[in-house]
Amino acid sequence: MKKIKIDRRHFIKISSLSSGALAIGFMVPGLKELGTLSDDCEFFQPGAYLKIDKKGKVTVFVAKQESGQGVDTALPMIVAEELDVDFKDVNSEIAPYGTMKEGEHDTGGSQSVLDMYNRLRKAGAIAKAMLISAAADIWKIPASSCAADMGEVVNTVTMKRIKYGDLVCLAAKLPIPETVVLKNPKDFKLIGKSEKRAGLTNILTGKTKYGIDLKPEGTVYAIAVRCPVLDGTLVSVDDAAAKRIPGVLKVVSYKGTGAPMHVRAGVAVIATSTWAAMKAAGMLNITWDEGKNNKESTEQLFKTFASKAKETPAIPVYKKGDAASLSGKNEIAATYAEPFLAHATMEPMNFIASVKGDGCELWGGLQLPDWAVNTIAKDCGLKKENIKVNLSAMGGAFGRRLHFDFAIEAVRIAQQFDKPVKLLWQRTDDTMFSPYRPANYHALKANTDGKSKIFSWEHHVLGTPVAYKTEGTDTKNAPEMDGADAGFCYDIPNINTGYTGVDFNINLGWLRSVDICVNTFPVESFVDEIAKQLKQDPLAFRLSMLENRADFKIGEGPGAMTQSPKRVAGVLKKVAEKIGWNEPRKANHYIGLATHSFIFAKSYAAHAIEIEMLEPKKFRIVRVVAAIDCGTVINPDGLLNQMQGGLAFALTQTLKGEITISDSRVLQDGFFSYELLRYDEMPPVEIHVIESTEEPGGVGEVGVSTVAPALCNALAAAGERPRSLPIRNEGFRWV
Amino acid sequence: MPKFTLNVNNKQYTVEAESDMPLLWVLRDLLDLTGTKYGCGVASCGACTVMIEGNSALSCQRTVGSCVNKSIITIEGLSEDGSHPVQKAWQKAGVPQCGYCQPGQMMAAAAMLEKNKKPSEEMINTVMSNNLCRCGTYHRIKEAIHIAIDEINK
Ligand code: FES
Ligand code: FES
Repeated sequence: MKKIKIDRRHFIKISSLSSGALAIGFMVPGLKELGTLSDDCEFFQPGAYLKIDKKGKVTVFVAKQESGQGVDTALPMIVAEELDVDFKDVNSEIAPYGTMKEGEHDTGGSQSVLDMYNRLRKAGAIAKAMLISAAADIWKIPASSCAADMGEVVNTVTMKRIKYGDLVCLAAKLPIPETVVLKNPKDFKLIGKSEKRAGLTNILTGKTKYGIDLKPEGTVYAIAVRCPVLDGTLVSVDDAAAKRIPGVLKVVSYKGTGAPMHVRAGVAVIATSTWAAMKAAGMLNITWDEGKNNKESTEQLFKTFASKAKETPAIPVYKKGDAASLSGKNEIAATYAEPFLAHATMEPMNFIASVKGDGCELWGGLQLPDWAVNTIAKDCGLKKENIKVNLSAMGGAFGRRLHFDFAIEAVRIAQQFDKPVKLLWQRTDDTMFSPYRPANYHALKANTDGKSKIFSWEHHVLGTPVAYKTEGTDTKNAPEMDGADAGFCYDIPNINTGYTGVDFNINLGWLRSVDICVNTFPVESFVDEIAKQLKQDPLAFRLSMLENRADFKIGEGPGAMTQSPKRVAGVLKKVAEKIGWNEPRKANHYIGLATHSFIFAKSYAAHAIEIEMLEPKKFRIVRVVAAIDCGTVINPDGLLNQMQGGLAFALTQTLKGEITISDSRVLQDGFFSYELLRYDEMPPVEIHVIESTEEPGGVGEVGVSTVAPALCNALAAAGERPRSLPIRNEGFRWV
Repeated sequence: MPKFTLNVNNKQYTVEAESDMPLLWVLRDLLDLTGTKYGCGVASCGACTVMIEGNSALSCQRTVGSCVNKSIITIEGLSEDGSHPVQKAWQKAGVPQCGYCQPGQMMAAAAMLEKNKKPSEEMINTVMSNNLCRCGTYHRIKEAIHIAIDEINK
């Protein structure tokens, strides 16, 4: 199999490969037979995405993994729209692993709706066309004289109706049509109307089963102790005290792996309860060989960044015009820094594995199950075709479960015990051994006409690339944080962007908003800084570089994305208007703005944040205004939830989120030291959605990136600009 | 191992456990009541919140031994069908994203409202700030609490 490059481009590649390739999704094996059943059929299932039973109940199989982003609702809505059923009759189920094409379960990069929209519309439309054909056969009239309405086929001549449920056995015998007509979006009844989350009552009554709640017959519990330094090895373990804890069944050790997952070497206690395993794990006496790279620190890393920032970037990323020739003319330069971050999902990592011979059964949440299965087979010496996966809901993911290090661990432990083993990462483990969002550093330089225009823009991005870990330091995929690249929206004639990767001994992964977030903070801060220096209004200054620029293509060929500076300007104007940018401000009140394009998800968002300065460096967030343009909105309520949640996520990392490292060890060990935003810190927010008939874009990550720069721009307007996140480190305080 | 009799959701259960086993793991591993969640085990997140004798309690901080002869209510016992005013309010406001923290959030809110039908904004802030939500559903939690307050004071 081709080596997979996992970033947002990966998802784009997959979707462009598969969209339209099959009319109605991958056929479930054995489905043909189902299709020829007689009248005592149970249901009608024209493909992998949906089935309809004799009561007319529709089940939509959701290929994408639910972790709070609402795909379990938005994706069924798309099917129900084309199928013309009452959404109350639609159930949402996790598509069983193996019933989708390779890659189709992949969930990330805010790609779920983009990836599935056309396929699910077709699936719904095909099912509807077959039900209509079945009714037309009964009435002996042409299908064109029939219509569908709320789960029934209507004879438009006699106005008689037949329920879908009464047609399923007939429809199941019909051939799948080759072409279908999709609805005109003007006629949408469901798409664009708010629906409550699927399975909401289960969540509210504690019945939803996350991976951590599953318990296959015979389950035993495991807690692991890992080598404190990445890629270290186990020397010896004294488990005598641990084994004396009642309930302990076995102590096992396992080796680490290199790329892609960098599982750490570990020792695991297997016990009859989680508690017994936790207690015993605390009593293991382990000697590790930490290897040579056990002295690294974030303090040193940022010094390295700062010194390398002055050198020429190792990898050129994007060049337009000749920025260098303008060097020195009305120059402004600045640096920005952002730390390592942990995902800190509320459900700590966990996974269940049961191994038999060269196969295994797995239970838990995975964002990229195909990659996980391929790698587990390789790393654990199992046969891929003998790996069975039971996917579960996730208590948050934010990119954490794109990695499956915990799954490899569970398998390695279960290979040494004859029962299903449920491995739990304690909160300390979850904080200390995560694949972290890379630390990064930015050196920016611009030359202006001294009045109102930027002539040149230079951006040197430095970071610890995820690909160094998933692929190795010789990777060609290192510039993950591309700064002002080919998709840069500001109309500046000369641009030069480069990247320098620094190897650092900690595991790395993708966090919600990935490199878009990493770059929006420096870029939107720097634009603001230039505006200030030129004594330009930050809003008008940005608009002057966006509004007159036509849409442009990034790259070539059919997969080329279209970038729209006008839409970037549109969301910015919206937040400015709604926060009252041009109105007089109260004393000590300041507003900051930021806008961006989340091009990979075809969505755009901006934030405006108003603060009140209480003392120097002490502020209160008065209110937040957000705007999003994500084309056609599937579920407005789900969109609002994502934008509200995105704000909380972003404020955490703007104000206080930071992983620091000393002696190659993470210094934070849970929520006391890796603090998250709390209830009383959540400012009021207004969210405005730009009306649009463009194709639907993703929303999960889009509301994160502009929060930090908007807040920092407000602080800068008040007097002092934060240069690094979290701003707490620079002495800023909030109430 | 010692045996303990517990009253959970108005049912009697007998469990065999080490006396220092936190109630959290008794509920989850021994009684299969998995609605109560593990988030940290050290009183920093509120995911494990239950009610003991009508008071909000962090089940990760209570040993099984200390829970004998006490009435324990978990999310499974708040109501069977989601009809508790807090659950109904959560439903109406569409609070959950991943939902993982929500049993703890609702138990904390329900315990607060049990004690005080009209809590001040300050009290709500103090109580609810003990419960983390990484998905950031705080706006809706606030909205839901006010829906519940209106409902129980009708
Ligand atoms: S698990 Fe009890 S407070 Fe976090
Ligand atoms: S809803 Fe996901 S942690 Fe609260």
